[in-house]
Amino acid sequence: MNTLTILVVDDDPVIRRLLEQRLTKENHTVLLAEDGYKAEKIIETTPIDVILTDLMMPGEIGGIEVLEIAKNKNQQIEVILITAHSSVDTAVEAMKKGAADYLEKPLNFTELFLRLQKISNMLSLLRSAEDLRQAMDVTESTAGETIQNLEITAGELQEKLDAVEAILSNDTIEAYSRITSALNIIYK
Amino acid sequence: MLKITADELKTISQYIHDISGIYLDQSKSYLLETRLGPIAEELGCASFRALHDKAKRDSTKNIERRLIDAISTNETLFFRDNSPFELLKHKILPELIDLRSPASPRMKTHIKIWSSASSTGQELYSIAMTIRELLDGQLDRFNFKLLGTDISDSAVKQASYGKYNKFEIERGLPRQTLQKHFTLFGDSWKIKDEIRSMVNFRKLNLMLPFTGLGKFDIIFCRNVAIYFTLQDRKKLFNKLAASLADDGYLIIGSTESLTGICPLFVPKRHLRAIFYQKKN
Repeated sequence: MNTLTILVVDDDPVIRRLLEQRLTKENHTVLLAEDGYKAEKIIETTPIDVILTDLMMPGEIGGIEVLEIAKNKNQQIEVILITAHSSVDTAVEAMKKGAADYLEKPLNFTELFLRLQKISNMLSLLRSAEDLRQAMDVTESTAGETIQNLEITAGELQEKLDAVEAILSNDTIEAYSRITSALNIIYK
Repeated sequence: MLKITADELKTISQYIHDISGIYLDQSKSYLLETRLGPIAEELGCASFRALHDKAKRDSTKNIERRLIDAISTNETLFFRDNSPFELLKHKILPELIDLRSPASPRMKTHIKIWSSASSTGQELYSIAMTIRELLDGQLDRFNFKLLGTDISDSAVKQASYGKYNKFEIERGLPRQTLQKHFTLFGDSWKIKDEIRSMVNFRKLNLMLPFTGLGKFDIIFCRNVAIYFTLQDRKKLFNKLAASLADDGYLIIGSTESLTGICPLFVPKRHLRAIFYQKKN
């Protein structure tokens, strides 16, 4: 499994420590924030793959706001909300706003790891698609340049050919000067 | 997975060619198996022969439509290969506006643009966004007709709807352009009505006659002829020449060439891009 950079946002220090331990053990890089404000600062400055955030937190910035800040910063950040059973409706609202998923408290780690595995699989697919596109772009633009040059050269040659044809078939001009003009066009 | 026999490969590729113009040579058996196999299985066909027979017998043409959707390549992105859009903005549109501006300031300037293999709409919307950015605030002096056509029903449907998921959106579209012209719609982005209302999409098979389309000032025909035989390409570009105004512009894919295909067009270079105009 590819390792992910995960930001854990929760006002409960016990949950933060627990998640940090379990996720670090799975080889992920873990960042911690005790509230929405701290989370916002980290999101602004650090590249993150996944955010695990509590839905209800003290202060103006709750889980939904963290989601919005993250998506505004980078659509590719996946956000999983941690919610009490009673706020499942809010969590569903959050899914509509682009949350990847929600997990109910108490946390089931098997479930969490499955979700992370899925996200990680998708990220590596995305990266290889991006690599392929990059390779295609380079190939396409190099080939495009070559073809465009050939196309212009072919066009110019065709133009010369047409002019030579026109001059050679012009009966009103004397044969010798027709040939001279034609040669001039060719060597121009 | 359902396997295709050499004999079936011939029949099916001939059939695909007949209904879509797409030419699949004998090396494409894998493509046919992966893309058409699931449809065969779903329709209860035990072989590709059976699928072919069933599709031909289907008077509703539903199976034919599904096969076209499955086999046509919809690889596209917003502002794919930026140079044609730069060309449009800095060279073609200013030139055309000069040419087409009517003597009376009260009359509108008419310009018709055709994205002839519009896929899921990204190319035509990129054209519309380019126009809006170039002529911001003076659009009421113009009458732009932007048409997108594609052979795939489902591509036309998605294009008309103008909604794209985050993977489609993130490819090629700068963040600023995204926020200016799209609205977040759940996990997807929807093109704003002001852009959507500039364009029209409909189904068209480029192999069939272009009836009722009229003449265009600009035609985009990028990365579609590559799927056709040389003979079909010649036919296509001759028809496009007939659908293009005498002083109109044709833009083809960056790795495509018209040399030996259509002598009616001359290539012209502007900075790093090439466009074609009719020989006078």
